[in-house]
Amino acid sequence: MKAKRISWKEIKRQKFLMICTACFVVYGIIFYYLPLAGWIMAFQNYKPKDGFLGSEFVGLEKFKFLFSDATFLQVIRNTLAMGILNLVATFVMAIVFAILLNEVRLVVGKKLVQTISYLPHFLSWIIVTGILHDALSSTGVVNELLTNWGILDGPVNFFANKSYFWPIVAFANVWKETGWNAIVYLAAITSIDPGLYEAVTIDGGGRWAKIRHITLPSIKPTIMILLIMNIGNVLNAGFEVQYLLGNGLVKSVSDTIDIYTLTWGISQNDYSLGTAAGIFKSVVAIVLIFAANKFAKRNGEQGMF
Amino acid sequence: MKKATWQRVAAALLMAVMLLGVAGCSKGEDGDIIQFTMFGAMPQPEINDDNEIMNLIAEKVGVKVKETWLTGQTAAEAIGTIIAGGDYPDFIDGGEAMMALYDEGVLVPWDDYLEKYPNLKELFTDQEWDALRQDDGKIYWANQFQNNYGENRATTHNDEAFWIQVRVLEWAGYPEINTLDEYYDVLTRYAEANPTMADGTKVIPYTMLCDDWRYFCIENAPQFLDGYPNDGSVIVDKENLKIVDYNTTPTAKRYFTKLNEEYKKGTIDIEFATQTYDEYIAKLSTGAVLGMCDQWWDFYGTVNDTFKQQGLDLLGCNYVPLGLTIDEGMDNRWHTYGDTLNVSCGIAVTTSCKDPDAAFKFMNDILDQEIHDLRFWGIKDVDYLVDEDGMFYKTPEMRMQWADKSYQASHRCLYAYMPQWRGTSRDGKNAMMPEEQTSEFFSDLAEPLRKCFEAYGANNYPDMIGSVVEENAPWFPMYSYSNAMTTATPGGVAWTKMGEVKHEWLPRIVMADDFEAAWEQYMAAYNAVNPQDFLSEMQEELNRRAS
Repeated sequence: MKAKRISWKEIKRQKFLMICTACFVVYGIIFYYLPLAGWIMAFQNYKPKDGFLGSEFVGLEKFKFLFSDATFLQVIRNTLAMGILNLVATFVMAIVFAILLNEVRLVVGKKLVQTISYLPHFLSWIIVTGILHDALSSTGVVNELLTNWGILDGPVNFFANKSYFWPIVAFANVWKETGWNAIVYLAAITSIDPGLYEAVTIDGGGRWAKIRHITLPSIKPTIMILLIMNIGNVLNAGFEVQYLLGNGLVKSVSDTIDIYTLTWGISQNDYSLGTAAGIFKSVVAIVLIFAANKFAKRNGEQGMF
Repeated sequence: MKKATWQRVAAALLMAVMLLGVAGCSKGEDGDIIQFTMFGAMPQPEINDDNEIMNLIAEKVGVKVKETWLTGQTAAEAIGTIIAGGDYPDFIDGGEAMMALYDEGVLVPWDDYLEKYPNLKELFTDQEWDALRQDDGKIYWANQFQNNYGENRATTHNDEAFWIQVRVLEWAGYPEINTLDEYYDVLTRYAEANPTMADGTKVIPYTMLCDDWRYFCIENAPQFLDGYPNDGSVIVDKENLKIVDYNTTPTAKRYFTKLNEEYKKGTIDIEFATQTYDEYIAKLSTGAVLGMCDQWWDFYGTVNDTFKQQGLDLLGCNYVPLGLTIDEGMDNRWHTYGDTLNVSCGIAVTTSCKDPDAAFKFMNDILDQEIHDLRFWGIKDVDYLVDEDGMFYKTPEMRMQWADKSYQASHRCLYAYMPQWRGTSRDGKNAMMPEEQTSEFFSDLAEPLRKCFEAYGANNYPDMIGSVVEENAPWFPMYSYSNAMTTATPGGVAWTKMGEVKHEWLPRIVMADDFEAAWEQYMAAYNAVNPQDFLSEMQEELNRRAS
């Protein structure tokens, strides 16, 4: 298909729309692109006292330091691992939850479950981590239950064990976001033509067949778009959760790129290094989005762009 | 119709908010009272905006300071954020991140104001003021603590120690406890005999804090166990004037081996490595923790006040310090006699302050005896009484009220991180702080605590710990240098990384199944970050200070 050339006449005809769009373009330039000028810090030995113009220019020095720092490689690993774990867990859970909820016949029950399940989304992480910290503490409800049921001999300190940290974070994400994420799928499911389901019934298919042959294929485009968008977010594996739940013992698995940026950029006053880490993160995110988009298109789905 | 009403309500609310905002900016009814702001990079209880003593002081000196404190961040993060934002309060105490503020050039030098304001000048000797000078030769901050006016009246052990509840000592018949073995032995035996508190809470024989910079509670005991004073980051070998690393001494290994054994036996709280400071204080406040290693100032405020309010002090939950050493029969130097000047941080005025002269005048004025008494003793006849000899004293009700959290917020205004004195009042009789007043100290002691002091023949906390009495060395304390290190030097980088390694490994070796193997791994990780860089910079500083 050939792209249609846009003529002046066309533009004049859509004058109003053009002005409206221009507002958003200006907004985008001011708030998304102008701040990128700050990236220059990554190539300087930036000191706020000297400003952008006065700071010493060091080229790729900061990036070299970054990639020779074993801790940075570790935080990349942690970020990717937790990002992927969170993505898979919340993504799958949301779809499963939406489909299950859709199968509920009782409308009141359905609405009730839906409302309750998306409420945690509105809690801030500080509260969620507070609840987790309490629940998983040595005198907390989880230890108490496990001990009373005879599964454990005595209380376990969950936050002292490195191998529990990633699952705890993934669980926290699932608990908080499943209900919220499911809303989009539920909306997509309601727009499916009921005639299709009737056709399955006529063909002798049961509920399972309806889910497999009608529901899932129908919401596949939605799934794909959300997947692409979320893949770009993989490196935003989180800051608050890890920051609030982490401690000295599990630091080597809990620190993410964002925490690294904070430690070096703010605490150690090395804004340049912090910015360099931030740039790296953005570049990886852009690459991931393009890759995911391409992958989707190759598989015959509609991409994002 | 409905919608219109709703909109009108919203608009009215919006207007109200805006008007409030405008009112907040103007001086309003305060008239000519100057409002300053202060940020302290340490957690402290915040007081109410209409605090009574704060208003009283404002009437007398014409200045009111709104203090805000660290919450949920580390000091370095908070100060880093303030620097990045470029919006400074009038007063600031950056704690461990003080140096970053100096590097940023946002602090006002004290030099011009010192001659003008005698109370400030009086705080330190010329030599001490010189120690506070930065590399550009100027003074930018003054440390607020451990500074005595006149005679030293110390009744508390405002230092680190292995602490133990007096009820444990009483139960054991007040034994001599000099070593780690004896200490953990008595804790374990007591916990076996008394596994729960009256309300059913399980007793925790020993806990330690590892949260952020407060991990000194686990980290620096080896220097004391070897009989050295609190140089904080290193040991100074006095004879050869050599810096010794206390992390790698045989004593350090013995100490951590002991902790590891005790952890496996269940003596040590399983949550020690993951608890936050708040959780730790909450835990201590229940009275269930029998012992820990900590600095007095790190726990006593909230914990002792709570004990008093809950009546736990009468059950013998208060802590007394023990002067433990690694072997029997060694001198201990846990207690620091005399003044300690920590030059690495203190109170400073920033360049954002519109009227720095008024700021310095304020710090000067609140050191006047009358205001100083208001800050630390309270209002006469309300918070304390004066007998015919001019001695201050409090009734038990006054003491109880003074320890009450809500009363503290509405009434008490210490300006706790502004310049202040310990020692003897200018009247030559009273103590600057109530807790240092001998009569007050004894009347305020709960019965079990008094009995304990009696049993050990001690008059106060320093007697209890029984440290060697000696002059501080001219280089003391070395931590005032390491605290101010930044990652600009190799030694500073090593210091930061050593901290990171220790933060991870110290709890881990305590919890290790195979201690020897874990210790080997820890040492490998430790040596990999070049501690030598740090030690040699410390050696240079020692040479400079000793000469």
